[in-house]
Amino acid sequence: MVLHTMSRTVVLGVIGSDAHVVGITILEQAFSAAGFDVVNLGVQTSQAEFAEAAVAHDAEAVLVSSLYGHAEQDCQGFHEVLDEADVDAVTYIGGNLDVGQSDFEQTRRTFQKLGFDRVFDSETDPEDAIAALRQDLEITPTESERATISS
Amino acid sequence: MIRDERIPSDELRRIDDEIRSNWPTGADVDFENAIEYHESLPAHKRFADVLESADKPLLQPRAGVPRIDDQIELLEYLHREGQADLLPTTIDSYTRDNEYEKAQEGLEKARETGENTLNGFPAVNHGVDGCRELIESIEAPIEVRHGTPDARLLAAITFAGGFQSFEGGPISYNIPYTKRHGLEETIEKWQFVDRLAGAYTERGVRINREPFGPLTGTLVPPSIAIAIMIVEGQLAATQGVRSITLGYGQVGNVVQDVAALNALQKLGDEYLPDEVVVTTVFHEWMGGFPPDEARANGVISLGGMTAAIAQPDKVITKSPQEFQGVPTKEANASGLRTTRQVIDMAIEQNIDIDGIAEEQDLIERETRCLMDTIYDHGDGDVVRGTIEAFDSGVLDVPFAPSDSAKGAVLPARDDDGRVRIFEWADLEMDDDIKEIHRARLSRRADTEGRDQSFRMVADDVDAISDGKLIGRPQPPQGDA
Repeated sequence: MVLHTMSRTVVLGVIGSDAHVVGITILEQAFSAAGFDVVNLGVQTSQAEFAEAAVAHDAEAVLVSSLYGHAEQDCQGFHEVLDEADVDAVTYIGGNLDVGQSDFEQTRRTFQKLGFDRVFDSETDPEDAIAALRQDLEITPTESERATISS
Repeated sequence: MIRDERIPSDELRRIDDEIRSNWPTGADVDFENAIEYHESLPAHKRFADVLESADKPLLQPRAGVPRIDDQIELLEYLHREGQADLLPTTIDSYTRDNEYEKAQEGLEKARETGENTLNGFPAVNHGVDGCRELIESIEAPIEVRHGTPDARLLAAITFAGGFQSFEGGPISYNIPYTKRHGLEETIEKWQFVDRLAGAYTERGVRINREPFGPLTGTLVPPSIAIAIMIVEGQLAATQGVRSITLGYGQVGNVVQDVAALNALQKLGDEYLPDEVVVTTVFHEWMGGFPPDEARANGVISLGGMTAAIAQPDKVITKSPQEFQGVPTKEANASGLRTTRQVIDMAIEQNIDIDGIAEEQDLIERETRCLMDTIYDHGDGDVVRGTIEAFDSGVLDVPFAPSDSAKGAVLPARDDDGRVRIFEWADLEMDDDIKEIHRARLSRRADTEGRDQSFRMVADDVDAISDGKLIGRPQPPQGDA
């Protein structure tokens, strides 16, 4: 396994017309503290803006946030847009993804079908997403980082 | 380049004609007719007079549905069953984005199906006559509440429609609400709104203006909120507004909240011109609520207690169903009654709490620091100064989605739950004040046996909805 020593870039944003900024602000802090280079596109980010930023920064992960219940609509065709731009990145989505449904497993399947590698609910700790990304990108945390995660 | 100067009357008329041609209902606005209409309203519907003459905090909920009949029924219910003193009309999101055609579609669908297909009352589409039908049906003053960066047409129609209070401002309805509206642009648009309110005021119809105090609603340090309230108050005063209600959102620490409300009134009186009547409004907790109505009532009650001690002129209440979004009318009324019960029980008690004066002094010093830097950045002009200060980050709002603010400053609670600043970024502040914040946060870090980090910020954001005030670390869990 290749041990990556250079920092890895993740693109982060809130998709659609959603203006919920608190979660993304905390994720930016958390991923930065965990050693990632974070490109935070902020709220109200279009599919094309995610793709452009992923290309421009050679991102290895695209993390999409949505809190206002229209995520399914906003993400239609998103992975086609990423493919057309030749983005080869892990994609995650998290937040309040469907206000109408109580069964998160169904929501997870919906978004996996749309092409997302991982789907998180709004109760997820940033650390869980970081651990998942490390696994997916095959990054071994250093001892000091491991200490930070478990504290 | 815009400055803090009153819009001349010929310019006011020109803009007014222009914006009223943006949608058919704009043509029905007639200023002289509107003045006569306001003069015909009974004393108990005159918002500024009712608010300013009250001898204890008046209560006001949030509420807006698309159809006029439904809005009348809802407001009557909140007036009767919730004993609201002042009533709101919350405007839908399409209108806030100036998408009147989409609002029209939603309104027509609501009329056909009886469903609430819009999340508020599309006042522009209802027009002057629709607004007047509402004003005439409700036996209390009504405020327009929204979140509109460009509210010029909404103001023209609702003022002519008989509303005498209008929430918002160029910073408070921009920075927390949208990403791409420039500050210079929203200041210019709100100068018109304020100038129009000033034109009514000159004719004896005092339109009350209320900057939106809670801003992003998420752990906003009091001095940042107060400085922005003062700026918006000054901008409104320059345009001729004479009744201004400055806002503040509950952070949940009683000492800090009482101190902040005291400072808001004091500094408002000091910074705004003498001819302005300054009142204050306290918003019950605007952050995440517990997903449990009983606990939510606890949060609301703490707001009532704080209001009883600080005695702001108005309290905007929350409902126990806040967690799930728009409440039923019953839940909305129950939030009003819960608040009323606590205020009425507590207000005649003489409650002395240590530390309020000291905290108020700190908030005032911080606010003066921010106001000084705003004036410095604008060479004395508050409009230029505000634009420059936000641009450089010396003035900033935590968790601001707007590109017009850095949004780099981060708050965290100290060891007794007061909101301090953890990450200053470029925010202007005297070093000795920064040191006070650092020391307070360091005490919390010691208590919790961890370093000061963004983790505290994240934990604090969720703390009240999780049933606490301060986001203390949880004991480690085995399956993490």
